[in-house]
Amino acid sequence: MADSGSITESFFKGSSGRNTRGLLRLTILSLIAAAAISSRLFSVIRFESIIHEFDPWFNFRATKYLVQHGFYDFWDWFDDRTWHPLGRVTGGTLYPGLMVTSGAIYHALRALTIPVDIRNICVLLAPGFSGLTAYATYLFTNEMSTSPSAGLLAAAFMGIAPGYISRSVAGSYDNEAIAIFLLVFTFFLWIKALKLGSAFWGALCALFYGYMVSAWGGYVFITNLIPLHVFVLVCMGRFSPRVYVSYCTWYALGTLASMQIPFVGFLPIRSSEHMSALGVFGLLQLVGFVEFVRAGVPSKQFATLLRGFVLVVFAIAFGGLVLLTVSGVIAPWTGRFYSLWDTGYAKIHIPIIASVSEHQPTAWPAFFFDLNMLIWLFPAGVYLCFQKLADEQVFVVVYAILASYFSGVMVRLMLTLTPIVCVSAALALSSLLDTYLTIKSPTEPTDSSADAVNGTTASSKKAEKAAKQDGLRSLSKPLVGIYTTFSKTSVVSALTAYLLIFVLHCTWVTSNAYSSPSVVLASRMPDGSQHIIDDYREAYQWLRQNTPENAKIMSWWDYGYQIGGMADRPTLVDNNTWNNTHIATVGKAMSSREEVSYPIMRQHEVDYVLVVFGGLLGYSGDDINKFLWMVRIAEGIWPDEVKERDFFTDRGEYRVDEGATETMKNSLMYKMSYYNYGALFPPGQAQDRVRGVRMPEKGPELNTVEEAFTSENWIIRIYKVKDLDNVGRDHASASSFAKGNKKKKTTKRRGPKVLRVE
Amino acid sequence: MRLLATVAAVLSLGSTALCAEKSNSTKPLTSRQILPANFKPPQTFKNVNLVHIINLEKSYPKESINVVIENTASTAQDEYFIPFTSSQMETIGGFEVKDRKDPDSGLFEVEAVEFDTESDTQFYRIRLPTPLAPKAQQTLGISFSYLSALEPLPKHVGQQESQYLVYTFSAYCPSTYVTLKQKTEVKFPSTNVPEYTIVPATAGESESPQKAGSKFTYGSFGELPAGAVEPVKVRYEFTKPVIHVSRLERDIEVSHWGGNIAFEDRFTLHNHAANLSKQFNRVEWASQQYYNPPSTAIKELKFPLRVGSTEPYFTDVIGNVSTSRFRSNKREANLEIKPRYPIFGGWNYPFRVGWNADLKKFLRKLKTGNGYVLNVPFLEGPKQPEGVSYEHIELRVILPEGAENVQYSTTVPLVSVEHSLHRTFMDTTGRTTLTLTAINIVDDFRDRELIVTYDYPLLAGFRKPLVIFTAVVGVFCAAWAIGGLDIGIHGKKK
Repeated sequence: MADSGSITESFFKGSSGRNTRGLLRLTILSLIAAAAISSRLFSVIRFESIIHEFDPWFNFRATKYLVQHGFYDFWDWFDDRTWHPLGRVTGGTLYPGLMVTSGAIYHALRALTIPVDIRNICVLLAPGFSGLTAYATYLFTNEMSTSPSAGLLAAAFMGIAPGYISRSVAGSYDNEAIAIFLLVFTFFLWIKALKLGSAFWGALCALFYGYMVSAWGGYVFITNLIPLHVFVLVCMGRFSPRVYVSYCTWYALGTLASMQIPFVGFLPIRSSEHMSALGVFGLLQLVGFVEFVRAGVPSKQFATLLRGFVLVVFAIAFGGLVLLTVSGVIAPWTGRFYSLWDTGYAKIHIPIIASVSEHQPTAWPAFFFDLNMLIWLFPAGVYLCFQKLADEQVFVVVYAILASYFSGVMVRLMLTLTPIVCVSAALALSSLLDTYLTIKSPTEPTDSSADAVNGTTASSKKAEKAAKQDGLRSLSKPLVGIYTTFSKTSVVSALTAYLLIFVLHCTWVTSNAYSSPSVVLASRMPDGSQHIIDDYREAYQWLRQNTPENAKIMSWWDYGYQIGGMADRPTLVDNNTWNNTHIATVGKAMSSREEVSYPIMRQHEVDYVLVVFGGLLGYSGDDINKFLWMVRIAEGIWPDEVKERDFFTDRGEYRVDEGATETMKNSLMYKMSYYNYGALFPPGQAQDRVRGVRMPEKGPELNTVEEAFTSENWIIRIYKVKDLDNVGRDHASASSFAKGNKKKKTTKRRGPKVLRVE
Repeated sequence: MRLLATVAAVLSLGSTALCAEKSNSTKPLTSRQILPANFKPPQTFKNVNLVHIINLEKSYPKESINVVIENTASTAQDEYFIPFTSSQMETIGGFEVKDRKDPDSGLFEVEAVEFDTESDTQFYRIRLPTPLAPKAQQTLGISFSYLSALEPLPKHVGQQESQYLVYTFSAYCPSTYVTLKQKTEVKFPSTNVPEYTIVPATAGESESPQKAGSKFTYGSFGELPAGAVEPVKVRYEFTKPVIHVSRLERDIEVSHWGGNIAFEDRFTLHNHAANLSKQFNRVEWASQQYYNPPSTAIKELKFPLRVGSTEPYFTDVIGNVSTSRFRSNKREANLEIKPRYPIFGGWNYPFRVGWNADLKKFLRKLKTGNGYVLNVPFLEGPKQPEGVSYEHIELRVILPEGAENVQYSTTVPLVSVEHSLHRTFMDTTGRTTLTLTAINIVDDFRDRELIVTYDYPLLAGFRKPLVIFTAVVGVFCAAWAIGGLDIGIHGKKK
């Protein structure tokens, strides 16, 4: 016993103890990274190594282009296979960080002659980076707390928190996959730079900030958070050369770095979102100057004067900024930015932003769903930061406040909240655990009381104060039952239980909510085996193989990236949504009558129209359910031709059955969705399983387009746009002739004959 | 001691010589014999009796000619010529000649000869293994098939309609020699043959064809001069897909360390059946599936693999295709794949399938030396009742890194052979690769073997572990050396 005791002693004490702890820490971090990676692999194991959802398909396509054509071609890439006939300056309108990262990994592996498919790199990039994120969180938290367990806890939380997993499962090849790592790591470097006042760390911070800018539009968050932090520090009277050096290094280098990205370009000096960074930079110069002068001239009046001078300059600068914004030199805030302050703004002014589900305001349960117990540990952690409010704790507080607000505005921004929640929760939890696990019963309880009695009142007051600052009031009265084994075990076991439940919750959420590729749907056969519904790829593969290479596909913009990526065919609109009018044109073609849509489609050289229809399978994410957004977006441009009201019945219902409005029934989208659908059922029995209604007995008729392909479960329906009639008839009369209907001579039999007297 | 070494050296020399001899049995058809422009095959033979059988049961015409030849010259002859038109020459495949009387004697050496690119008549030259003495007779069995020789008529049919194919041939078998007696038999897939050419009766011969079920017979015809033709056109029902693989890339990768052999076949598949007259109608298709009517669409492809094949996959350019089944037990290993959509006439579907197997079943180590013998199927494409034709097959056998002295032997007619290196998975020099190319092959060649022999020294097997070990040690050393450097700009604090 004593022997083993001495052995552990030798392991945990002194320099070898440091080594042991370092080794343990390394092992734990590797395990955390492994857990983070493996919990993101549900979809690969259940389905296959496949790119998920919508945007990742574009990133994947761009990566393939980069790998095939090289970096310079990628930089100058003009893509004429999207936004037909406009095209897209893809190289200049994307954040290349993600693709360049995958491309670099690809080439590095190729150089080692390891034949890895670029698809697998793209699929596994996000899990791989999540391991790095966990490590970055560890580093970041270590800067906040003296207890190393806080860092490890934060890393573990970050590794498995669903709020982050939602955007980083295998296959979710989106900018966020690497951006969250860069975000946390940049913040770590910032704190490091600020603490040391080091230009070296500041430059590193700027470097990673530049990487972040190249990777994700969310870099604006950093651009505003760091200045805000500095601003708060200055307001708290904590200006110091450390702040000055680190901020100025970061701002100067970081801005230069960010301007190297074509998509960002001159935005850092021209757009309102970046002005706070510039303003704080100016402010720091002034404050620095004032401090410098004050150090030389120790006159109180002079300092006050200078303070006034600073305020005046600041006011003038702000006024100039407003003036420049109004006059248009500096771009005003974009709509997306306004919608951060007014959640109703987008729905009225920019329906295209509001139509994306991830831009909706967050529902309360989402916080518990994505963060579980962390969300209630979060305020505790923030509170603990006030205990020792050094510069870096101020950062946590500022970050927490800002991110809490934004995550409440937009579901998507939950992602930026997650790191700070993990950090704060880890701070709170580690302080609890440290308190209860390592606290030792005072051996000489009389000692402290004797001390209190014997010592001066000042010292006892100091001790009391220190105890108060420790936060847990019980500590100030050390003899309360807190030292008993019972209190220790009960608290620790409760926390352990919470942690275990948290792990269960995370695994459950990841497995059930975030691991579906959405390109492939899974269902269960009656015998319990998995049945895969692969209609999307069936139809895309059909398009890819059996249509001319330049056949233009019209579909709603959601499917643009997928068509580009999987079917490799030119599309009219895609998820880039840079041209609202073009999207509205497609919306108009979909929501108008055939006679109106046909000229639009001819003008845009559309060969095929693709619609998603879930009525047979009960797949609710189909085009009929998205239809109102098409109508709204089209109405934004052509208020006279497309009216949302016309698609609702008199009683204000959105119906697709017998009671649907005439506008609805005549719209191209409705017709294409339900064309020939009744033929699957006995007469009069056609059912729409999404809307849960019985369809009219007589289905819609199509004249200007013909059904070209329908996938096995009818999820994708592809129509071919007919050519102009050979003998110059319009399509309606041509198809009526083909059916053998007699040409109606309505003019002859209208009412009794009346003698015309003129 | 020295004596032993010498003996061993002589033995190994002998064995390599043996190997070299073996490899000569397969000669690629790359070098076409160029003959003078005014070439005419010498009239040294006559066909005593000839039976020409045209088999149209599959999606490609398969012809065989059984002919008794007699040497009419005064000296022994060993070159027999068969004429083809130049368009036939482009699509002819699997040309093989055997002795009918002695089927075990192996295949005869054949060669496409070219004398004038402008001429419409080209020849295949058959070299008899032993020259035929004057007045002596020999029975040849010649078989070959044409690719893309069948035309659907009408070219567009409805989704559920029957398909009719047209085939044109000559009732008189093309020959450069006088033929004393011959007949042509045509085997159809069914009795439904709505249109066919009637050869009128002539003196001594009745009207052709005579029908017996699904078999039509033209002839027999009496003595005909060299080059006689009688065009015949038949149009018959064939409501099955016409599966055509324009390119098949097949990789066979041997891993000695893993004890594994990996196969991967990449197909560029087309259906050359009649195109749809209207667009595809899902309702009609779905409602007909219960009755499983004959159709020109490819619904399923069946790959009977070697027993013991494991881990099959079926993917296309956008990922895994979930609609496949693999049934594997002790007696069979059947991979049944269903394309994402039914492939109608004119539609394409490129895909890849692959699987692994235990290397022991395919590889044998020679008793002496470092030699290995690999025996793999040349082609393992789908086995369909309607047949599959392959326009271009590129087979790569990727041997382990450091394998040398590669020899091969196969009965499949090849057009080119290439030795190269393939670098993958941390190779330093690259793996020895044998690339065989064959054109115009039909699925009758499915079970043909490919035998590859090579030497694999023990040291070559340890190359990779050694290289990786050295590299990792190097990295550690470099890291240690760099870590020890002081690159700080501050002064020494000691």
